Amino acid sequence: MANGEKPLSDILDEMALQILMIEPGDLSVVGELLDLVEKILPGYASEDIPVVIQQMANTFRGSLEKLIMGELDDSAENYELLGECISRMQEIARKEGVADEATILAFSATLKKIGFAFDEKELLGVAGFGLAESGEAQPEVEAAEVLSEQEPVAPAKAQPMPDFLQDKELLSGFIEEAFEHLESIEVNVISLEQSPDDMDIINNIFRPFHTIKGVSGFLNLKTINKLAHATENLLDDVRNGKREMDSGVIDIVLTVGDVLRSMVENIKDVLEGGPDKYRDTDITGYVAEIKQLQLGEGAAPAQTAEEPPVAPAPQAEAEPVISSPASPQAAAPAPPRQPSKSAAPAQALPPQQAAPAKGPAQGAPAQAQRKIGAAIKVDVEKLDALVNAVGELVIMQSLVRQNPLVSRIADPKLTKDLSQLTKITSDLQRTAMSMRMVPIKQTFDKMIRLVRDLSKKSGKKVDLIMEGAETEIDRNMVDSIYDPLVHMMRNSVDHGIQPPDEREKHGKPGTGTVYLRAYQKGGSMLIEIEDDGEGLNSKKIRQKAIERGIISESESLSEYDLNNLVFVPGFSTADKITDVSGRGVGMDVVKKAVEKLRGKVEVQSQPGKGSLFVIRLPLTLALIDGIMVRVGRERYIIPTIAIQESMHPEREKYNTIHGKGETLLVRGELVPIVRLYEMFGVEPTFKDPCEAIVVVIENEGRKRALMVDELLGKEEVVIKSLGGLQDIQGVAGGTILGDGHVGLILDLAGIVSSTKDH
Amino acid sequence: MEAATANVTQGNVTHGTEQIANELAGKYLTFSLGDEDYGVGILSVREIIGVMDITAVPHTPSYIKGVINLRGRVIPVLDLRLKFDMEPQDYNERTCIIVVEVQGQTAPVQVGMVVDSVSEVLNIIAEEIEPPPSLGSSGETDNILGMAKIKGDVKILLHVDRVVGEGVLSRFEEAGQEGN
Repeated sequence: MANGEKPLSDILDEMALQILMIEPGDLSVVGELLDLVEKILPGYASEDIPVVIQQMANTFRGSLEKLIMGELDDSAENYELLGECISRMQEIARKEGVADEATILAFSATLKKIGFAFDEKELLGVAGFGLAESGEAQPEVEAAEVLSEQEPVAPAKAQPMPDFLQDKELLSGFIEEAFEHLESIEVNVISLEQSPDDMDIINNIFRPFHTIKGVSGFLNLKTINKLAHATENLLDDVRNGKREMDSGVIDIVLTVGDVLRSMVENIKDVLEGGPDKYRDTDITGYVAEIKQLQLGEGAAPAQTAEEPPVAPAPQAEAEPVISSPASPQAAAPAPPRQPSKSAAPAQALPPQQAAPAKGPAQGAPAQAQRKIGAAIKVDVEKLDALVNAVGELVIMQSLVRQNPLVSRIADPKLTKDLSQLTKITSDLQRTAMSMRMVPIKQTFDKMIRLVRDLSKKSGKKVDLIMEGAETEIDRNMVDSIYDPLVHMMRNSVDHGIQPPDEREKHGKPGTGTVYLRAYQKGGSMLIEIEDDGEGLNSKKIRQKAIERGIISESESLSEYDLNNLVFVPGFSTADKITDVSGRGVGMDVVKKAVEKLRGKVEVQSQPGKGSLFVIRLPLTLALIDGIMVRVGRERYIIPTIAIQESMHPEREKYNTIHGKGETLLVRGELVPIVRLYEMFGVEPTFKDPCEAIVVVIENEGRKRALMVDELLGKEEVVIKSLGGLQDIQGVAGGTILGDGHVGLILDLAGIVSSTKDH
Repeated sequence: MEAATANVTQGNVTHGTEQIANELAGKYLTFSLGDEDYGVGILSVREIIGVMDITAVPHTPSYIKGVINLRGRVIPVLDLRLKFDMEPQDYNERTCIIVVEVQGQTAPVQVGMVVDSVSEVLNIIAEEIEPPPSLGSSGETDNILGMAKIKGDVKILLHVDRVVGEGVLSRFEEAGQEGN
């Protein structure tokens, strides 16, 4: 039980529990299951876990991965079968790793029933039912040099880690590069689906594979090299007109892309966590599949394509930079080997290519432009340190300027110099801030694949049109915005867009359209997701809201307010649980995630015409727009985005309930009053709400009127944590004010939840 | 020198007295609170600053005075007098904030400690150090590494991680749970 880890039986029990809770479409539970199973994988597991179980877990994980990638059916039957597999593992665990052949065979058979193909001989081999061929699978890897510190966890399988850790610098460079390449492959493959004959796009897919193959070979990453090589050969056939670019090729290229990505991720883990993290990926299946594609359907003998194309490697590596469709250089290496029959139409129709390719094609030139400018990679920590230091500089220079002694000096030169200094520092601040910004394209590109998979699965036809992918967003926000976006895209495809026949009945084109837009407006970044689908049914929403007790029967709400009820926790518009969007819950989760980023989300919808979801985010996480208020001697900052209005309350609008709960009538709504001075234990100037000022704020749909003494003005401040002080109710963080003092930023979620609704 | 950092994590009761003393030997920054003299391992001290305006933070124990701006960094400050339940005293020109660095949950954290006055840096040898006295079951000695007797004076050697750890870094449960 090394590292005090959970005993095997606990892990298995937990897995069994998880599988019970899975509902089709809810891949998050599968993710949790993956996390669990990883604890008992070869190389991760503590040593007392029987090798057989480790190997079974490994196979099991393979099937989970396929499920997540959508290669296996995400259906209730399959989950049941997976549950069976877990109980087989439990069975063996109970016998302390002494496996009998029948159990393993049953395990294998169950997995195969799900549609997960693998070689059960290996499993049997590990369990001691030795089979002669079991060594055959990895002859090449075995030939590789064995690292001396290789762990003896899976002795029967003896997968030595290839020695690729010699040049870590090169390796980490390769990892970065490979991720970029894989991403560009995915984008290009998907645009290829819309214009399968476009030779430029095929070249754009071919080249990254070629580069990955070349570099991985050089770095002794044998499995990656082998897989990339096989795929490259297949693509070369396509380039040479030996075979068509059909859905089979596209699917395998996407699959290989995913496999390569996970392998590269593993290399990254190894680099960070040491050789123990090494996980061998069995690629023989993929390679065989590729070979079969080449042999089975390709008209010409496939083996001739063994050699890489004439394009010399260095040139090919430089090539992805110039990938705009019209570029003559991009086409240059290809023509000598291109049979004219497929090249001619593609080359002849450059103006038309752009139109059908739509979103993805739009993205491609933008990426090319981005890469052309020389760039260096910088450690994020260094960048953050720079941004922090610049923030200090700005404050310090304003402190110096405001120093009474300095400001009394009437020297024109000093005045001029000081204003010059101010200009330079604010320039510097702007540049430093912009360095943290990245185009949202990366996140958008992932949506292409998502929409493709979703529409395939649901049998709907959906066009994704992306606009403004070059809009920049704080890099710290990129990760956090991904999940909400996925959720909303799913929502749009699943609930918004109707099936083709139904669309046609309503006089719409069979293919639905989802727009994904990003743009900046007035200091905010806006992301819009618009579909031309069903739209929200406000009557149904109303009915449901009443059912759930969210609103009362008598309440009259505008269409807009009704529609935005979908963001209220526990509300769902989907009548039935569908495979795609899970249980239909989750718009409240989207709202929460967006509010965490200090953003807002809202929906506008026209029944029958479609809906428009708008996410409004601050441009950067480092700064917050706030109104500074004074309470007694203290100054607090209230985030502007939550503020609705501020006022001197009129006496007749002030009410108490049972002499205790205080409310204010604001535009016909009773809003609870929060006396900030009481909450924060400060001696205020005013204790009478009608003498003080109230600021009406809204958080997650709940309003509060905060009582303050004075509004001091609008301020853009840099957010800082309060050192070791954490989770202080009502305080989100601190900032350094213009006079060098620390001001506290209010946490409205905390304030709202700590005071009662009425 | 190494000993001063090592001791912080290993104030283990099972060690022999001598061994503890050996581990504790090293340089200490000494300061006073009322009539008592204290010492903190020099390796955890980052700097000493005069008292500056402290921004009060609500929903924290009274000994947390608030936060200050330490060259652009916001750090919490705790009043050692209040922490040790001593009589509060108005801050004067001798009052100092000793900024110490301790291990937080994820990264090192700097915290300021308000003391009456800072005295000097002393090199304390093993022979001068005694284990903390037992003051009954009140657990008061948890914060104390040992007692140093130097020329008749007694310096209380503080376990900074513990003082600061329970004072600042732990969550304020009572305050945090009112909501929700």
